[in-house]
Amino acid sequence: MLEIIEALLSSTLEYFPALLFAALGATLSERSGVVNVGVEGMMRAGAFCAAVAAITFPTPVGVLVGMLAGAGMAAIHGYLCIRWRSDQVVSGMAINLVALAGGTYLLESLYGPNGTPPIHQLTRWHLPGLSEVPLLRVLSGHSALTWLALVLPFAFHGLLYRTPLGLRLRAVGEKPHAVATLGLSVTGLRWLAVLGSGMLAGLGGATLSTAVLDRFEQHTPAGLGFMALAAMVFGRWTPLGAFLAALFFAFGGALRIGLASSAPGLLEVVPQGFLLALPYVLTLAVLAFQGQRTHAPAALGTPYEQESR
Amino acid sequence: MISLRHIHKRFGAVTALDDVSLDIGTGEVIALVGENGAGKSTLMNVLYGLYQADSGEVLVKGQPVRLRSPRDAIAQGIGMVHQHFMLVPTLTVAENVVLGREPSRWGRMDMDRACQEVAATCERFGFKLDPRARVDTLSVGSQQKVEIVKALHRGAQVLILDEPTAVLTPQESDDLFRVARGLAAGGRTVVFISHKLREVLSVAERVAVMRRGRLVAEVRAANTRPEELAALMVGESRVPLAEAQTYHPPGGEKLLEAKELRARGEDGRPALQGISLEVHAGEIVGIAGVDGNGQRELAEVLTGLRTLEGGGGNLLGGPLTGLTPAEARRRGVGHVPEDRLWRAVVKAMTVEENVALGRQTQAPFARGLQVDFAGRRERTAALLKAYEVRPPDPEVPLQALSGGNQQKVVVARELDAGPKLLVVVQPTRGLDIGAVAQVQAKLREARDKGAGVLLVSLDLEEVLALADRIYVFFEGRVTGTFTRPEFDEREIGRRMLGTHGEEVAHG
Amino acid sequence: MGERLRAVLPSVFSVFLALAVCWVFIALTRDAETATGAYLQMLRGGLGDWAQYFESERLTVLTRPLGEAAIKAALLLLTGLSVTVAFKVGLFNIGAQGQMLVGALAAAVAGAQLQLPAVLHIPVAILAACVTGGLWALIAAGLKLARGVHEVISTIMLNWVAVSLVDNWLSVGPLRAGAGTHLSITGTAEIATSAQLPRLLGEMSRLHLGFPLALAVALAIWVWLSRLRSGFETRAVGLGSEAARAAGIPVVRRTAQAMGLAGALAGMAGAVLVLGTEYRYPGGLGAPYGFDGIAISLIGGNHPLGVALSALFFGALRAGGTRMQLLGVHKSYPELIQGLALLFVAGRLVWLALLRPRKVAPVVPTRQPETSPEVPRA
Repeated sequence: MLEIIEALLSSTLEYFPALLFAALGATLSERSGVVNVGVEGMMRAGAFCAAVAAITFPTPVGVLVGMLAGAGMAAIHGYLCIRWRSDQVVSGMAINLVALAGGTYLLESLYGPNGTPPIHQLTRWHLPGLSEVPLLRVLSGHSALTWLALVLPFAFHGLLYRTPLGLRLRAVGEKPHAVATLGLSVTGLRWLAVLGSGMLAGLGGATLSTAVLDRFEQHTPAGLGFMALAAMVFGRWTPLGAFLAALFFAFGGALRIGLASSAPGLLEVVPQGFLLALPYVLTLAVLAFQGQRTHAPAALGTPYEQESR
Repeated sequence: MISLRHIHKRFGAVTALDDVSLDIGTGEVIALVGENGAGKSTLMNVLYGLYQADSGEVLVKGQPVRLRSPRDAIAQGIGMVHQHFMLVPTLTVAENVVLGREPSRWGRMDMDRACQEVAATCERFGFKLDPRARVDTLSVGSQQKVEIVKALHRGAQVLILDEPTAVLTPQESDDLFRVARGLAAGGRTVVFISHKLREVLSVAERVAVMRRGRLVAEVRAANTRPEELAALMVGESRVPLAEAQTYHPPGGEKLLEAKELRARGEDGRPALQGISLEVHAGEIVGIAGVDGNGQRELAEVLTGLRTLEGGGGNLLGGPLTGLTPAEARRRGVGHVPEDRLWRAVVKAMTVEENVALGRQTQAPFARGLQVDFAGRRERTAALLKAYEVRPPDPEVPLQALSGGNQQKVVVARELDAGPKLLVVVQPTRGLDIGAVAQVQAKLREARDKGAGVLLVSLDLEEVLALADRIYVFFEGRVTGTFTRPEFDEREIGRRMLGTHGEEVAHG
Repeated sequence: MGERLRAVLPSVFSVFLALAVCWVFIALTRDAETATGAYLQMLRGGLGDWAQYFESERLTVLTRPLGEAAIKAALLLLTGLSVTVAFKVGLFNIGAQGQMLVGALAAAVAGAQLQLPAVLHIPVAILAACVTGGLWALIAAGLKLARGVHEVISTIMLNWVAVSLVDNWLSVGPLRAGAGTHLSITGTAEIATSAQLPRLLGEMSRLHLGFPLALAVALAIWVWLSRLRSGFETRAVGLGSEAARAAGIPVVRRTAQAMGLAGALAGMAGAVLVLGTEYRYPGGLGAPYGFDGIAISLIGGNHPLGVALSALFFGALRAGGTRMQLLGVHKSYPELIQGLALLFVAGRLVWLALLRPRKVAPVVPTRQPETSPEVPRA
């Protein structure tokens, strides 16, 4: 029994960082008032560029390149939505489609259908002290990104609720005009949030291709970016909420894989499809239970315009 | 202290400011008056750095300055309280005040120091505010104080107040005037933007009058009468002050008899706590009250937009309980809601489509299951002509019309349906004087033709000018009823603040 | 008419801009000759090889590619319309994928399990798909109306639920062809011939009844939205739901109807895929049709006829994509063009401002783009 639980937890920790980074990114952008449904595309760009860069450079450099790629996609989003006040949902969807098709095209023409050549995965940290302790030993054997994912939500929480910058970011998502009349730059704050959002989504993508796998695969991130959006909503647009939601979703994923390998008898009774669907059905149930109360920032999706009459 | 020199500003094809020059001295209360759209707010937004002038310059203490953003204006000691408050509702008083100049230690925000600083500023200028209270829990009067503290906290020497009394009771306004005079006595300057002439003359020493983007006169308040000011504002001898009004006794049939109405507001708190009132055919019944005391919810209940939770009564021959918007319309309730673009019209649809809204299933707007394009076009064109809507084109999107013309479309549509009871909320807010006069005339006309009108307005002057009877609302209850000609403005004001008026004002 | 032209122009321009940018992209990575060659191949693959036709006079060199283009266009059109109809009532239907999937399965089951004459079998199978897709979409509508769950999130979730249940349970388990036996076949049993959509040109092309059906549906939706009272009410709900409510329009009913219709259209796309070309549910849709629908709808300006044009164009492009392979350009290239076109539609304010003659100081556009009536706000 203990082994099963440990296996589940270990695989949860394996899968959740990518989801968490993207969910934090989405949260950051939306708290500043800019809808970001382009997370999936930004992750894909991050995953692809990280894998390609890691072929020639050390893998950590690849991760950085992935973050920059995500930020690059976010820059397009920011340019359209902040500078030109375009429709944020449409812009995000366009980024997803471009990343989807562009990724496929580049992959096929550069490396063929089987993904990029394998790279060195990020080093896994085996902690000698921990590996003997039951339960806690699941923390051993993960890459630095897993550890980062365990720390980042709290740092992000501190940033948002305990620093002047966080106060300004929250204010700009609620009432940008109030921020503008105090002489602060609404567009500057939103740019910051959107670019940061892209970097985090890119990091999420890079995690997939450098830590979870060892290459960029055709379907990466296979809808994880949309899951990240769900985690953001599920987590009520807060970093700690996104953290819990990401853990929950990752656990749901681990449960399926874990049960398939550890308790094949169960699959005779409960079809695998049910287990696969479980996290999504649960999310729907919780959202329905949560009900009408919206926790979204008040100015979310509204382009900011200074000289309006 | 501050001089504006030859300021020009255009928005697209519209000239908002045309060669405006104005000197603002130290230690004075100066008023800036004019109709809606005369350019008062635009001028002050230029001074506050929110808008950039196309040409002209601003001098502070004789030195030309560039005001590219509010940051520059704040640095020059200029502060502004906007008509629509610039507060973040989900943040606390202290967070709102220090936003942008947060005290911090090693990158961490020092919330305790922020609260102390804000408390100190409040103390210094005599405001009673709790720095840790969330802004959305405060009354309108208190929120305005937060705005003033925000400016003073940044060291404002010049304080611009844009239409500050629009949502205040007479008592709260008096309070504000005291604050303004106190600030001026302490060597600061207060610029008062308003279109309420009487109060302007009572609080300001000097009055600058704007008309169509130009500064047309500067007068001393001491030797000016409201009528003269009004003439300067409008630019003709046509003085649009409230015309003499005769009382219409409620002789007509009882259209509405509401008893002990109870309902919750949008935030889930009880908004109507036992409202009883009547409306008869041929009268205008005004509802007076400070914003958020149940007026809005009453209008929503009567139009079927809000569920009644207790009480009941009769509306046009049917029960009030279980009323739906469609049923209300079927019985003959017309509705001119407060938030036009949200609830009255669909801005992306054409004018004719908007005219059809509410009667989309009836002739001449529909024939069977189909839209009757010809009938709709014909009726719309006739209405646009009768109400002098510009442009009189049924095919343009509604959002291409000015606010006043949009409101005319709404009023035209509702009156065209021949309502027995017309529920109107804030019908003239934000309109220019011409449109205000026309809308008010149409309401009187509807009354004279035998309709009952229920008028909710936060502008007490408007209620006093139009109503035959007045119910005063406070915290979801009726705290007073008045019948023309026994309208006592002071007494109504007191009732608007409940029984313990003064204390509530500080909320 | 000028107004209408101005509404169409940005989309047309965006598409050409995307074509141009993608040409330059191939020209830079390969060379200009390849780029032009690839585009010509795409043209031949999508619109027929006219040069060869005039040489050989074989009609099939025209009908085969055109048929393929029409088959692709029918699917794009139906999913595009699904997104459009939801847009009209103010909902962003990201769930066309899931709705299509359950529809496809329902059509496959109805096609395989029922014994009916063709005149009945085809309508019944299509209806089964529409009802299933519609019900699937109604889950999202219900959650939205009753519990305020934002449809963007719920339809994303429902997509995954559909994939999980259908592709990982039903089509590999109880509904697998030869379930209970040891045959290892993926997908469901083949449908009866009576359920297959008739080929319109016989052996000359795979073109089937699904294409005219999709066109007719587009026309019907156009009539509904622009001519009928209920269509007017639906648009009013989408553009201003509170104003619609105040006007006495049954907002809940109109919303549910439109979302149900959106699901039915996506379900119909599933039926057309299964009854027209696959003849069984193959164990997966194989392409992100739902997302294509979003692009097609937005590029088509969320107008039924615009969506039809956009679907025809990209259907031809997609069909032509396979021929680009001949020159070593991957067949996914048309998808990139489609994605970029959507990006340019999204960013049309940028290039509209660049194109505007500068006679006066640049006027900042104050109107929001009309394409998406609502933003995710749960």
